[in-house]
Amino acid sequence: MATLTFPLSRIEGHAQVVIEVRGSEVLSAHFQATEFRGFEYLVRGGPAEQMPVIVPRICGVCSTAHHVASVKTLEDVFGVTPPPLAATIRELLLLGQLIQNQATSLFIFTMPDRLGVDSLFDLEDSDLTDLQQTAMTTRALQVRQAGTHLISLAGGQFIHPIKAVIGGVTSGITDEAAAEMREELTQVLPVATQLVDDYWAASLAMAERLGTWGDDQPACYIASVGAEKPNYYGDVLRVMGCGERGMCTIFPAREYAEYLEVEESDYSYAHQTSYRGNVMRANSLARVNLVQRLGTPKADAYLSHFHETFGMPAHAILLFDLARGIELVYALERSLEILGGPLDHEDTDVAYTPRDGEGYGLVEAPRGPLIHHYRVEDGKIAQAEFIIPTVHNLLAIERALRVAAERYVTPAGVNMELENAVGRVVRAFDPCIACATH
Amino acid sequence: MKRFAVLQLSGCAGCEVSLLNADAWVDRFDLVYMPLVASVHDVPEVDTLLISGGVRTDEDLYKLRRAVKRAAQVVAVGTCAISGGVANLGDRDDVRELFLTQAQRHHVPRLLPKTHPVDTYVDVDLYLPGCPPTPELFMAVLDEDADFKASKIVCQECGRKKLRDMRPSHLLGFQQGEVQPDICLVNQGYLCVGTSTRGGCRAPCPRAGHPCVGCRGPSDVFIEKQSGAWFTSIKRVFKGMTDIPEDEIDAALRSPQLALFLFQFSDYSGDDRAPRPKEKVL
Repeated sequence: MATLTFPLSRIEGHAQVVIEVRGSEVLSAHFQATEFRGFEYLVRGGPAEQMPVIVPRICGVCSTAHHVASVKTLEDVFGVTPPPLAATIRELLLLGQLIQNQATSLFIFTMPDRLGVDSLFDLEDSDLTDLQQTAMTTRALQVRQAGTHLISLAGGQFIHPIKAVIGGVTSGITDEAAAEMREELTQVLPVATQLVDDYWAASLAMAERLGTWGDDQPACYIASVGAEKPNYYGDVLRVMGCGERGMCTIFPAREYAEYLEVEESDYSYAHQTSYRGNVMRANSLARVNLVQRLGTPKADAYLSHFHETFGMPAHAILLFDLARGIELVYALERSLEILGGPLDHEDTDVAYTPRDGEGYGLVEAPRGPLIHHYRVEDGKIAQAEFIIPTVHNLLAIERALRVAAERYVTPAGVNMELENAVGRVVRAFDPCIACATH
Repeated sequence: MKRFAVLQLSGCAGCEVSLLNADAWVDRFDLVYMPLVASVHDVPEVDTLLISGGVRTDEDLYKLRRAVKRAAQVVAVGTCAISGGVANLGDRDDVRELFLTQAQRHHVPRLLPKTHPVDTYVDVDLYLPGCPPTPELFMAVLDEDADFKASKIVCQECGRKKLRDMRPSHLLGFQQGEVQPDICLVNQGYLCVGTSTRGGCRAPCPRAGHPCVGCRGPSDVFIEKQSGAWFTSIKRVFKGMTDIPEDEIDAALRSPQLALFLFQFSDYSGDDRAPRPKEKVL
C-alpha cells in the first residue's frame, strides 16, 4: 500500500489530502484539517455581549459572517428585533463579504490553475504578455478591494467588523458616503464582468483539456436562500434532495440537528456533516441550483446562460467556480441597488434588555449557511456551537477526491496530474479551515 | 527587489487578508512564499519573514524553527503571534482540560500543552501588533520607512470630543445604548481603552461607534511596564472623566474575556518574560 500526501495551498487555512492506494486501487481519500484553536471551548464563561467582538476572530476571511451571525444569535436569545434599516445595512455587509470572497476565490485561489502557474503574483510562467499579467493582477485586486471597502463602510473595518450590535447597527450610511461607494462599484462592475468572462473562457478551455468537469454525481444541496431569490440575511435553510428538483425541505436554524447529522472525525480537526446520511453540498453551486433567479439584470443573464449550458440542477464540481463568478456580478449589482436607496433616514437600533436563554443565528456566508447557537446563563456563555458551511462540504470533497484519484491512479502508475487535480477539487469547494475547525 | 515571505501559524488569516489590501507591495516587492495565495510549500531565503498566528501545534513549531533560519529579518505580525491573541483564552486551565480530553486527534499535528507567542521560541526583530494590523502598517514595515510615525495612542486618531460635563455613573454594556456621534465613548459610559492603546490604526472602531478593545496593545508609555500600570492608567482616565465607581471598572477590566485580556492574555498570565523593548514595536 502506498500513501500519497498532498499539502494544500491557495485555500484558507491548514489542511492536506491523503490518498491511500494499493496497485491501481484507491483505498481511501481523506481531507485532513490540521489546525485547531477551540473556540467552542474558549468562549465558555465569557460575557455574552462580547461575542460579536470575539467570534469574528474565528476567521479573518469570513469574519463578517461570524459577526452578523453572532448578533443575530444574541437577538434571538434576548428577544430583540432590529429595525429594517439595520437589516439592510447588515445585508450590505454580507454582500461586501461576498464580493471580497468570490473575487479572492476566483482570481487569487483558482485562476492560477487555469493559467498553469503557482500564484497570481508570479505570472511569468503563464502565456500572458507582461501587460496582460499586470492588468490581471491589478484588476483582480481592484474588484476584491471594492468588497473590502463596502465592508469597511457598513461594518467599520473590513476584517473583524464592529458596527453590527445587538439590536441593530451603530449608524446609518450618509448620502455622501453611499454616493462615493456607488461610484467605486459602478467603475468596478465592468472590470468584474470582463474578468468573469475571461475566467469562464479559461475554465471551458481547462475542462476541454482535462476532459472532465470533475465529480458530477448528484448530491443534496443546502443553502439559506429565499423561495426564488438569494437572501443572505434570511431565516430558513433549504435542502434540495438528491436529484429531486423542486422538492425542498425547509427548516429554521434552530431545527438543524433534526436534519443534519454531525460526526467527529479521527483523522481531522474538522467534523463532517451529512443530510440524514446523504452527501450534501453547500456554497455557490448549491445557491444557483436552489434559486430561480437572482433579481439583477447582468447576473440573471449569466445565470440563464449557466442553466442552459449545464442543466438544472448542475452537479459537476468545477461549476462551483463559475457560479462564484455569477454571484460576484450579482453582489455588485445588488449593492448598487441598496446604496441607491436611503440609508440614513431612520433609527438603526433598538434598546434591549439582556436575559438568559438559548438562541440561534443564521446567515448565508459565501461558503454556505452559517449557524451560531449559544446558551446564555447569568449573562455568560454556558455553551456555544458553530455550525460551519465548510463542514457540510467535507463528505462531498472526499467523494470528489476519490473520483479524481480513480481517474489518475491507473495500472500504469500514478499520473502526475493527480496533484493538480487534488488542488482543483479542493479549491472548487473553497473550504475554510480556520472556520471548519474553529 | 526585496524578497519576503509570509508564514501563517495557527490563526485566522486576517493578517494575510489585510496584507492583500496593501496592494502597493505588488509591484515593488517579491512575495516568494505565502500558502494562502501561492502554491509554494517551503520557505526560501528571504530578506523579510512575516509570521502571523500563534504556536499551537508541533507542526507550527517545526515550521517556525525552519523558516527563521532563512530570513534576514523576522517580524511577528498580529496579536496572535505577539501575545497569543484570542486563541490564548484557551490557555485557562479549565479550557485546557477540555482540549486535552475532547479535542486531541490522531494522525494530525499534535496540540502543544499551551499556545505560545512566536518569541517564546525564536528571536524577533520587529513586532507589528494589531488584530489585524492595517494595510498602512504593513506597508510601513515592508518599506522600512524610518519616517513613519504612528500616533502614540488611539485617542489621538479618533476625533471624538471629550466633554467636561458629561459624566456617566455606570458602565454601559459593550453593546447597549445608542451611541451619540462625535462624543467621546468614555463620556458615554463605554469601556473604551483608546486612551492607552497604541495608535497607528487610525481608530476605525471608536470612529464607527464601538469602544476600542485594545488590539494594538499598550502604548509606549506602558509597554515596558507591568500590566498593573496599564490598568491603573485606564482607571485614572475613568475617574477623571466619569462618576463610575472604581470597583465597577476594576471588575470589567479583570474579566478574562474583556478587551485587554482578550488581546494580551499571554503577556499578563504570569509568565515572567522580559517586556518587549518599545524600539522593536511599530
